[in-house]
Amino acid sequence: MGQLLAFLFKFRAFFTFLVLEILCIWLIISNNNYQKTVFINTASGLVGSITESSDEISDYFELNKVNKELAAENERLRALLFNREVSLDSIGQPLIDPDTTDSIQYYLRTAEVIDNSVANSRNFFIINKGSRDGIEPNMGVINSLGVVGKIRSVSHRYATAVSVLNTSNAVSARHKTSNRLGTVQWDGVDPQKAKLLYITRDVELQLGDTVITSGFNAIFPKAMTIGFVSSIEPDPNQQYWDIGIDLSVDFGSLEYVYVIENRQKIEKDSLVQSDPLNQQ
Amino acid sequence: MNRNFAILTISFLVLIPVQVLVLEHMALFNLGFCFLYLLFVLLLPVELGHSKGMGIALGLGLVIDVFAATIGIHAAATVLLMFLRPFWLRVIIPRSGFEVNVLPSIANYGLVWFIVYAGPLVILHTLAFFFLEAAGSGLFWITLSKAGLTSVISLVFMITIQYLFYPKGKS
Repeated sequence: MGQLLAFLFKFRAFFTFLVLEILCIWLIISNNNYQKTVFINTASGLVGSITESSDEISDYFELNKVNKELAAENERLRALLFNREVSLDSIGQPLIDPDTTDSIQYYLRTAEVIDNSVANSRNFFIINKGSRDGIEPNMGVINSLGVVGKIRSVSHRYATAVSVLNTSNAVSARHKTSNRLGTVQWDGVDPQKAKLLYITRDVELQLGDTVITSGFNAIFPKAMTIGFVSSIEPDPNQQYWDIGIDLSVDFGSLEYVYVIENRQKIEKDSLVQSDPLNQQ
Repeated sequence: MNRNFAILTISFLVLIPVQVLVLEHMALFNLGFCFLYLLFVLLLPVELGHSKGMGIALGLGLVIDVFAATIGIHAAATVLLMFLRPFWLRVIIPRSGFEVNVLPSIANYGLVWFIVYAGPLVILHTLAFFFLEAAGSGLFWITLSKAGLTSVISLVFMITIQYLFYPKGKS
């Protein structure tokens, strides 16, 4: 102890210097937006490259489960394909839209989750695609089971995303049978359950009802599954229902996800922002 | 001692307003700024310890930062300068040694000594400042030319101001 104190005292100038510089850098990062972005992007690039190598090992243990998920997804897609009515008279119904540039609104990119957490109250995950693959902040992230999150920041090869399991991340949602609009928000307790907020008391609900995305915020397409109603109680204010939902995605074992690019997002957002009521 | 204290107080009261009100808004060729406020920390007594020096640097830097809307950047660079200053002073000690209660200015130790003393410190300060501002080495050459030009301008201003307004002769 005495030696430690002597050491600290001998180099006190240097330690004072370190403390003051750390204070300054903390001030810089918390007060200057540009420096903050650079810091977050560098950090996510560095963390990404470390966690990717550890994730490559754990991939082998998940292969079985991933195969099953992919088989299930294939099955569903094939069923969709067979159920599509193929008309014999192909002249009457052109199968391809005349203007294909406008008709493709959503563009999907597969990515692998290389770091993930469910234990915090604000959970983030990192994927192995970044700006060089065309990932941008505010894109939606889904997997075959439902909504997973939104991209927060992007470095060259990696991107961090805000999970639905993040108490400050709300997803615009809809109760499927009644078509009522609400908001899904995680309460920070159980990684398999979240809350559906702002559904008024006049809506008739049943256990097991599907909760889907509204498609209003241009991040997620319409009618993606978020979860299923698991508990219904009147809230203390007697104004809304207190609805618990079982999330359809198993966040504890995220492996492969799709990042959604909405080609019309800029157009839609610019329309929202040009609202004269919002301008000061 | 009292005379030194008066010189430093007046320096502080004049240099800081000049820096935040006038010099912040000037940029030569859009590259060169003038960090005249560094003259104040450079003139601080030679005997001043590390901790006090860095404390003063932090406060001063933050004042400049608040006005320049660069919270923390001036402070970080100035703390770096004040951390290195005692080491540098030990290296460039004049032949006769430092006299007690004498400020390290041109009037006391001569122009050449002052340039040797202030030059490297100012260059390091501006390098730290501009690389922190650019947050990395992305715009390496622009940042480097900014730092170089700013150091030269700052030094020229510091020397001119000392010849024009500071008392001559040994204090």
